[in-house]
Amino acid sequence: MPGDSSVSAPAARTGNTFIDYSALRALVVEDYPGMRNALRLSLTNFGITRVQLAANAAEAIYQVKQKPYDFILCDFNLGEGRDGQQLLEELRHSHLISLETVFIMVTAESYYEKVVATAELAPDDYMIKPFSPEVLRSRLDSILLRKRAFRDVYRHFQAQELEASIAACDVLIKSQPKYLVDALRFKGELLVTLGRSEEAEALYQQVITLRAIPWARLGLARALHLQQKDEAAEKELRDVLEQAPEMVAAYDVLSDVCLAKKDALAAQEALQQGVAISARTVRRQQKLGDIAHANGDLDTARAAFSTVLEKGRHSVFVTPGDFGNLCRVQLEQGDVAAAADTLKKNKSTLQDSPEGQLVMAVAQGMLHAKSGDAKETEKALAAAAALRASGVRGDARLMLDLAGTCMASGRHDEADGIVAEVARNAHDSEALLSRAKQLYDEAGRADAGAAVLALATADVRKLNNEGVVLAQRGDFSTAVDKLLTACAEAPHNPRIMMNAVWVILKYLDKAGMDEKMLEAARQHLNEAERQAPGHARIAGLRLQLKDVESRFGIQPKNRS
Amino acid sequence: MTFDGTDLYAALIHELKNDLGLLSLTIDGIPLQGEAAHDAPVDAARLLCQNVVDRLQQALLVYKAGSQPIHPAIDAWSPHDAVHEIRDRAAALSRGRIEIEATLAPDVPEIWFFDRDLVEMALINAIHNSLAYAQSRLRIEAGMLEGCLALTVRDDSPGYPDAILAGAAAGSTGFAKGSGLGLQFSRMIANSHDNQGRRGEVRLHNDHGAVFQLLLP
Repeated sequence: MPGDSSVSAPAARTGNTFIDYSALRALVVEDYPGMRNALRLSLTNFGITRVQLAANAAEAIYQVKQKPYDFILCDFNLGEGRDGQQLLEELRHSHLISLETVFIMVTAESYYEKVVATAELAPDDYMIKPFSPEVLRSRLDSILLRKRAFRDVYRHFQAQELEASIAACDVLIKSQPKYLVDALRFKGELLVTLGRSEEAEALYQQVITLRAIPWARLGLARALHLQQKDEAAEKELRDVLEQAPEMVAAYDVLSDVCLAKKDALAAQEALQQGVAISARTVRRQQKLGDIAHANGDLDTARAAFSTVLEKGRHSVFVTPGDFGNLCRVQLEQGDVAAAADTLKKNKSTLQDSPEGQLVMAVAQGMLHAKSGDAKETEKALAAAAALRASGVRGDARLMLDLAGTCMASGRHDEADGIVAEVARNAHDSEALLSRAKQLYDEAGRADAGAAVLALATADVRKLNNEGVVLAQRGDFSTAVDKLLTACAEAPHNPRIMMNAVWVILKYLDKAGMDEKMLEAARQHLNEAERQAPGHARIAGLRLQLKDVESRFGIQPKNRS
Repeated sequence: MTFDGTDLYAALIHELKNDLGLLSLTIDGIPLQGEAAHDAPVDAARLLCQNVVDRLQQALLVYKAGSQPIHPAIDAWSPHDAVHEIRDRAAALSRGRIEIEATLAPDVPEIWFFDRDLVEMALINAIHNSLAYAQSRLRIEAGMLEGCLALTVRDDSPGYPDAILAGAAAGSTGFAKGSGLGLQFSRMIANSHDNQGRRGEVRLHNDHGAVFQLLLP
């Protein structure tokens, strides 16, 4: 590359810098028609002729689903509905845009710009309104050239070849000083994803030696947290927040660190600070609601769960369970009218899916039980039972709510069955098991509860432990049998799923190709990811799966 | 300032800034006709409009900072990209009236650590100033000086008046009409950048024209 010389003649340093704007497909997302057209005109002026317009996030998502775009220029403030950041999160989360797509956020205020720039899912760049077309052009140039330099990094990443992606980062780090910091940043995230936290720690230290940039300090804190060095992580986070108080992602990590230190109050406080800066992020509000609820701070939990539903209308991150969460808190506060109102207002949304119908039935059951209407309670429980019989399930909290109402109505067997199922699927979750125990204590059935829980968790625990031990001894065939049985008993238990995948891959490695087994590994890994998105082990297992697939010459199926 | 409801003023500035931005884009869309009687006033309106937009943007930032120092959002940026972006903005503002050049010294590193938006705001101030006074040429330079990245805007105007230079040397900010606010703002930005005990600076001098220099540690 001629580009690695530190001498400056502009042509010598960047190699091929030609960008064919006429080949670019652009989407402008802006709610104000005057601005929308002005932006289109600007883009046309520098040669981008294929420009589509969208007035809001829903239109943008529709357009992106129709055909791919190379460049999205999006206003942060889109009036009613989702804002630009939420749009970006959905596009990336649903894999609607790839890493090659340039996403530039337009913000009206320099404060938002800081928040946006430091969000976990940051746009490629942001422009402060109003801006001149020349600046936009110049920024677009740099980003497109950067993406061109990162082509191999992205290609491997998108094929889930994380090792190869890291190697491509290393090439950039060595040969392209202009992209040194960008490449280090991307590599750091890959290392964290792969659970290689010690290497990540060293990498972030290397960046900090250049300059203590807030994102590098945040990365360092995350790497420390992954190694359970939570004291050091907390110190780093509190320090960096002093320097950059608008860095919302740091509050999220801080809350995880506090939870690891069993300081749930501090975890809640951290999230509340994050929410104060950026209230719209649905997942942060969900987490705040959960933690506040566990802390017994029902007012905060209620406010957070309400915000989830208000701000997250039409968001992919909102699930039927979120309606259940709000109702639960409202009922715990004794506000039956508010819970009834929540259900009434969202009736059509909930009726839309079987999961929503289950939430509706469970919440109504609780509500009627609370107001002492035995007949209506029975009706709701019957509806819930019918849905359950057809295979519909809710999140563990909701299922425990259902168990509680069943117990209060004397349906003990049904309650025990539900609790056993929850326990099997969460045999290592202290919070859920203790909530289940509490249900039995409240119903005066402490002994029965202890028996149900012990039995349910013992089976899964035993199968799991036997499987793991057998695998460690090298008897992969029997280990696979044990763990697949455990999977059948606890079909939504992420820990069991991950162990099963691990053992199957070991087995295939030794015994050779078995298409059915490989498919089982794929399915269980997908289920594990659904149950525990972002779990530290998942990326590593994906990598091993990929390895096995390519060794046997199998084209991996598209995951999404 | 001790007005009641100062947030109202911030909101007002904000709205004016956005409206003017739109106006500026509208003026940009008026095609030139090659007749001075038409083109010159359109051009003057465009420049003025852009100047007011930039000034309002600064006013908002200063207003928000209040009496506190500005918190820069430092990241790694390419001085090369920054200089070329500023050059393109200056060229667009001048529309061929003034010749714009950009040069990078060989020892300027590929990346440097600064707050890109703040630094560009400070430089665009100097550009507006130079465009108003330069006779025919304006140059944007990046070089290394005393271990700092030095970003320079140099023109062929008659130079800064003595009062401004004296004021700048004394570190005073209450000098001269018009450019006082801009300089004060640039100095705030320079000052907010620090690295290992060294703070950023703004330096002014005359050398066959006015020379504005922003030093980033």
